[in-house]
Amino acid sequence: MIFGYLDPGSGSLILQAVIGGLTGIGVAYKAYRAKRGLGKVDPGSEQDGDEEKAGDAALPAES
Amino acid sequence: MSTPVPGSFRDPASRVVLDGDKVTRLLDKRGVEGWRALSRTEFFRKAVADGRLIESVEVDPPDGSAGALIHPRLDLITYPYEWTFSMLRDAALLQLDLLEEALSAGLTIKDATPYNIQFVDGRPRFIDIGSFETYRKGEPWIGYRQFTRQFLFPLMLRAWVGVPFQPWLRGDLEGLTPAQMSKLLAGRKRFNTSALLHVRAQARMESRMGDRAVRKDLSEAGFNADLILANVRKLRNLVGSLSWEEGEQGWSTYGECSHVARDRTAKSEFLETALKRFAPRRVVDLGANDGHFSRIAAANGALAIAIDSYEPVLDEVYRTSAGTSLAVALTDLANPSPSQGWASQERASLMERARPDLILAFGVIHHLIYGASIPPGEVVRWLSTFGCPVVLEFVSPSDEMVSKLVGNKLPHELHPGGEESEFRAILDKLFVTSDEHVLSSATRVLFALEPR
Repeated sequence: MIFGYLDPGSGSLILQAVIGGLTGIGVAYKAYRAKRGLGKVDPGSEQDGDEEKAGDAALPAES
Repeated sequence: MSTPVPGSFRDPASRVVLDGDKVTRLLDKRGVEGWRALSRTEFFRKAVADGRLIESVEVDPPDGSAGALIHPRLDLITYPYEWTFSMLRDAALLQLDLLEEALSAGLTIKDATPYNIQFVDGRPRFIDIGSFETYRKGEPWIGYRQFTRQFLFPLMLRAWVGVPFQPWLRGDLEGLTPAQMSKLLAGRKRFNTSALLHVRAQARMESRMGDRAVRKDLSEAGFNADLILANVRKLRNLVGSLSWEEGEQGWSTYGECSHVARDRTAKSEFLETALKRFAPRRVVDLGANDGHFSRIAAANGALAIAIDSYEPVLDEVYRTSAGTSLAVALTDLANPSPSQGWASQERASLMERARPDLILAFGVIHHLIYGASIPPGEVVRWLSTFGCPVVLEFVSPSDEMVSKLVGNKLPHELHPGGEESEFRAILDKLFVTSDEHVLSSATRVLFALEPR
């Protein structure tokens, strides 16, 4: 994690993924669930490599 | 003797110090990494060459810094609350363009504030080299919220709500919050797709998420630079679509008024003579209106700073100033931009930054005297505080324009000192008259004054 001098706003960070398009909506949904303690969509994602995470993001969001 | 620039303390990775005309940016280890990555890119070379990025030369750092850059000192610093609509929009587009180019080169811009942009020769230039850093995979755009608060919402406020953004930006240096903007939007605009996303959804998400840390979650969920690029491109389309036109005519047709057209040649000649006599490097044109006299000063080799409070006409001056040494600043002379921000020093007052060698005050002091009810003696005293020559136009109470400004006020309700003989006595206390010229109407007199 990189320290920044600017407060980016948690809600604004999640939102910008949504604005990014369909792929981003999936990303935002996963991050939102994780932060709300609703469990990860992909339980193994914390151990996954970056390439796999990026691939997961392309999957449609699941409830 | 180096002194820190008061507005450059927030980013610990990059701080600016001033030593005479030498501007030095001191970098910590992380700042140096960002600079080295930036300086290797083709986009950096091009952006400097076309004037969109400030020139930077790396030099040996002093003790306590990991790196140092030298920048040229800019002639004038202005703040977004002194910009017109077109200036803020051009600055916003530059911010987005540079971010897109940076991302394509593996970099990002970590903040998004108009204070990182200045206008040089009538065009926006990005000056905070310390804002660039290497883009790290999975990181969102940290500056998105700041971009909306300081660029997008002020532009929306003017374009969609019809309210000037400058008082708001001057009152709150951080700009408008999403919640505030959401409350200000009315009518059908509330349901515009962009308003729903950038304003209302952002306000709602802020309210729901609070201060929870989400960057790690976003990274793990697969956030990537393509999502930032998609957002930036949509924002560019949105910002480019925002426009504003003043409905009323107001001062925008000032140059066509009979008294203005009648006196313009005589005033231009008087100014040319004064410019030759005083040879100023910096001319501050108070009440510049359509910029006619500022252009004469600029054509004579000076930096001309056109100050006015009427945005439509000053916006037009800006839009026709590219490539000239004419700068514009929107402010009310009866309440010019003060020193403010942290310790009341972070953002200097406009007049501190303007540093005039000559003050030009054609067609303006009667507005201060009769419009803003400032006593004539106080106006002259204020002009004398700059310690430089003043070229001014005196307008007698019997002038047709003064009659309009006085309106329903009775003679005894006006400040004393407005009659020509009284005004001359006030001038004589603080200035020596080098030249004067009575205009054809006989109700107006031009003075070239030197401080005593």
